[in-house]
Amino acid sequence: MPRWLRLVVVAGIAALVVVLGLAFRHDPQDIKTGTVGKPAAAFTLQKLDGSGPLTVTPGDGKVVVINFFASWCIPCKQENPALVRMYERYRSSPDVVFVGVLYQDSLESGLAYVRDNGVTWSTVNDDQGRVAFQFGVFGIPETYFIGPDGVIAGRHIGPIDEQTLATGIDDLRAKAKR
Amino acid sequence: MNAMKRHPRVLIAMAIVAVALAVGWSARPQPETSAERVDRITSELRCVVCQGLSVKDSPAESARQMRDLVVQRVAEGKTDQQIVDEFRASYGDWVVLTPPLVSWGGLVWLVPFAALIAGVAVALRRMRSSPQTLPEPPPAELAALRERVAREEALDLPITEGR
Repeated sequence: MPRWLRLVVVAGIAALVVVLGLAFRHDPQDIKTGTVGKPAAAFTLQKLDGSGPLTVTPGDGKVVVINFFASWCIPCKQENPALVRMYERYRSSPDVVFVGVLYQDSLESGLAYVRDNGVTWSTVNDDQGRVAFQFGVFGIPETYFIGPDGVIAGRHIGPIDEQTLATGIDDLRAKAKR
Repeated sequence: MNAMKRHPRVLIAMAIVAVALAVGWSARPQPETSAERVDRITSELRCVVCQGLSVKDSPAESARQMRDLVVQRVAEGKTDQQIVDEFRASYGDWVVLTPPLVSWGGLVWLVPFAALIAGVAVALRRMRSSPQTLPEPPPAELAALRERVAREEALDLPITEGR
């Protein structure tokens, strides 16, 4: 085998090993889609409690945590206590906003879920799935962290825990103060 | 009738032309309906909650909502590219079942051609390279071999190996 061909084969194998190594290091919970790192779209949806529409306008200097959920979603119930505790921690902070988005569920079921599980932050109904589409939601639960600049700084697929929520929020608040 | 009897070739030629025109007319490109366009676009988009199914083929709720979105965008007069770009903006190139050529996914298209070119290059190189020649034995060994051949020829012995 000529020397140049041997070099090409070795370089090819090395490149494959590097690519596979990077792929296996990748966190499966952190799936990159088109929306992370880009400005989040503003949206208006009806509140679950029937008190009218809620408009979310990212980029108004607040950290926005958007959680997509449904009453039939078991992992959503698993993560809910963490969301409740984190909301209690930040509810008095004017620069942090929690929004729950009901996805692929009936209004009645969503409302019952919210009442039964102590969800006291704003919840809205994405009955046509358009907001989920804009954010690039794959499946629920999914949680998005939007910075004060309106850019989607991160997303978490699957049940989220308190530590991940606190780190996501505090990092964005610290960045805003810098 | 008499003219037709007198010129049967003209009649056959006219019949052939008529058949060709009829076939051509029936096979002419039809304008695509909105439903056909929606089917075509959704068949090129990946259902995000499925395993290898298109939005068109998936019965999932999210696929149905995506199909509704495509129906709406078609009705709004958006181009195919604008609709696909909207999906890519939300889900990346991954959402397109046929990877675009100019992207990391485009490597899927390039790798087989690169492998083919490399294989042809190796084969050509091997075919062109001259067969390997054995190194000439040292002069002393060559002289001994010649002497042995001459001796065996003189004795008219069959030349055998290993003696």
